[in-house]
Amino acid sequence: MKLVDKFTLWFIGIIVLTTPVTAYICYHNLVKNIDKTEISQLSALNETTASRMEKGLPIGEAPKGSSLSVTPLQTALPEDRVQIEKTNSDDKGFISLLTVNSYYTIKGQPYRISSNNYIPGSKQIMNAIMDTIIWKLLIIIVCVSITARLVSARILQSLKLTIKQIQRFNVKKKVQFPVTRTHEFRELNEFLQRTTDKAVDEYVAIKEFSENASHELQTPLAILRNKLELLSETNIEEDQATLLGDMQNAIERLSKIHRSLTLIAKLENNEYAVSESIKFCRIAKDVLAAYEDRIEMKHLSVHTDFGSNVQLKIHPMLADMLMNNLLGNAVRHNVDNGNIDIRLTAQRLIVSNTGLPPEMPTDELFQRFKKSNQCSDSVGLGLSIVKQICDVSGFCVSYSYKNRIHTLQVDFQPAPKAVVTPVPLDNLAAAAQPAIV
Amino acid sequence: MKVLVIEDSKEIASSLHDFLAREGYICELAETFDEARTKLSLFTYDCILLDIMLPDGNGLELLKFIRAENIQSGVLIISAKDALDDKVTGLEIGADDYITKPFHLPELHARLRAIYRRKQLSGSSMISFNEISLNTDTLEATVNDTLLEITRKEFELLLYLIVNKNRVLSRQSIATHLWGDYTDNLANFDFVYQHIKNLRKKISAANGADYIATVYGLGYKFNASAAVK
Repeated sequence: MKLVDKFTLWFIGIIVLTTPVTAYICYHNLVKNIDKTEISQLSALNETTASRMEKGLPIGEAPKGSSLSVTPLQTALPEDRVQIEKTNSDDKGFISLLTVNSYYTIKGQPYRISSNNYIPGSKQIMNAIMDTIIWKLLIIIVCVSITARLVSARILQSLKLTIKQIQRFNVKKKVQFPVTRTHEFRELNEFLQRTTDKAVDEYVAIKEFSENASHELQTPLAILRNKLELLSETNIEEDQATLLGDMQNAIERLSKIHRSLTLIAKLENNEYAVSESIKFCRIAKDVLAAYEDRIEMKHLSVHTDFGSNVQLKIHPMLADMLMNNLLGNAVRHNVDNGNIDIRLTAQRLIVSNTGLPPEMPTDELFQRFKKSNQCSDSVGLGLSIVKQICDVSGFCVSYSYKNRIHTLQVDFQPAPKAVVTPVPLDNLAAAAQPAIV
Repeated sequence: MKVLVIEDSKEIASSLHDFLAREGYICELAETFDEARTKLSLFTYDCILLDIMLPDGNGLELLKFIRAENIQSGVLIISAKDALDDKVTGLEIGADDYITKPFHLPELHARLRAIYRRKQLSGSSMISFNEISLNTDTLEATVNDTLLEITRKEFELLLYLIVNKNRVLSRQSIATHLWGDYTDNLANFDFVYQHIKNLRKKISAANGADYIATVYGLGYKFNASAAVK
């Protein structure tokens, strides 16, 4: 619900709640005042009549609508010289009859002078008030709704700008929040300004650190590797050569791990944001072509089904890396004379391959340094990179193993909050099953 | 070939110097931005190895200077940064190639030779060694004027071996040269072995000498002094 709607509803709610109270007060005051005015008028009429009788003048006509009667009394005057009666003159209570009895002694004879008049009854007053209230409420609701919208557009302008700014915020660039005179918004903007500035500063610091760390580590690695290469060209014995070979392997591994971790950090920092689409199908074909020799050597048969013109919003380097990691895994973890099946549509990419059963739940393989077969020719970061690339590009990746087939599926347009998890029971069942090829 | 190595790390500079000197290249070193600029103003070089991060300046600025002064040397950027931006900027400003630390010396040498061929030998695409000839344009290899039926990867491998003849080439270095190195996969030495095996078979089938030798525990070597069959 929008802020302005909330405010409007609350306001209207308060008015609706307070209206009966004000209506009652209004009713009460009206009745009191009508009675008071009428009583004073009728009392004055009685008074005038009494003084005319005193002077021996005729009683005279009562004013229009009211009536006047003079009754000589046999008894003594009552203690209360003015008595007021109010009766409903009809069943429905629309009209009341107000009677004022005044008692006077005129020329030794006690008289009762009564005058009465019809005044609006409680029901009629009530109806009038109800009418007014309904109109008033209607007018207030309409006015409040309209003005709230008009005014809020002005007052909330700054808030809207702030929201827009924060939605567009990217840790790579500082943003300037609008200046406003509204106290709360100013506080909010000042807070956001401080926070976002800090985020940008820290991002820059981390980026610098990782770049420096990368530089500082790559240089000694380069020195080690190059010196070993020079050393391997000197006159060395066979056992020394073995030692050198092991060292070169270790450096290779170190270099890969370092490079992959740096890459993952960069992906987490969102350094490969893109706005343009690329032809993913073309990259997929290129990468597949690069694996041709290794596919041939392992005698793998590859079935491809590339949809034409598959456009994806992804950094070209990441697309290349994604395909490389998926295909690399499909080749490396395959068995000799195995199969690879690649299907690419505008919705998803499915790479499935034959291979040995995984030794752990497949979704755990996306974690860093988790390796299924603990085979030594992998550092265990490939699937983490795949996952990270998918996260960055808004794709969803899942891994399943069924009937001796490993399947990696990348959904390009995942349904929001859709949880795509292979059922672990399936894996166990499939692993226990005899092989069906 | 005369090479200027602009690199602030003494150890890397000395490795490069040792490696290139063995090829018979004249190799000069510059450790700082200023030193490099002075040398570039005074002497001419066939190729320049340029580190991007220098203590007193950015290598990319030096590259701009090289292009502004119309120095015709080929430039190979060496960087510890795997940053894509640097790579793109470097190549846009006018570098000929880009290599990331930690690199393999034979890989650097192969790229240096490729630049040299393009720049100084006015794009000559023929490389010959004894009875073996390689044409880098058509990717055709001949042994004793017989055309070899080799795949593209085998061609690349043979070229790599010949450029780095008499050098020990580690299996990692060969794998990186053939397949790049940005996947998680560590070099699969079986594939390297198979490529080498096929290449040897094809060369000897064309009556070529068996130049390619296995170096125990380390890798392979193109033995230039191998006896002709």
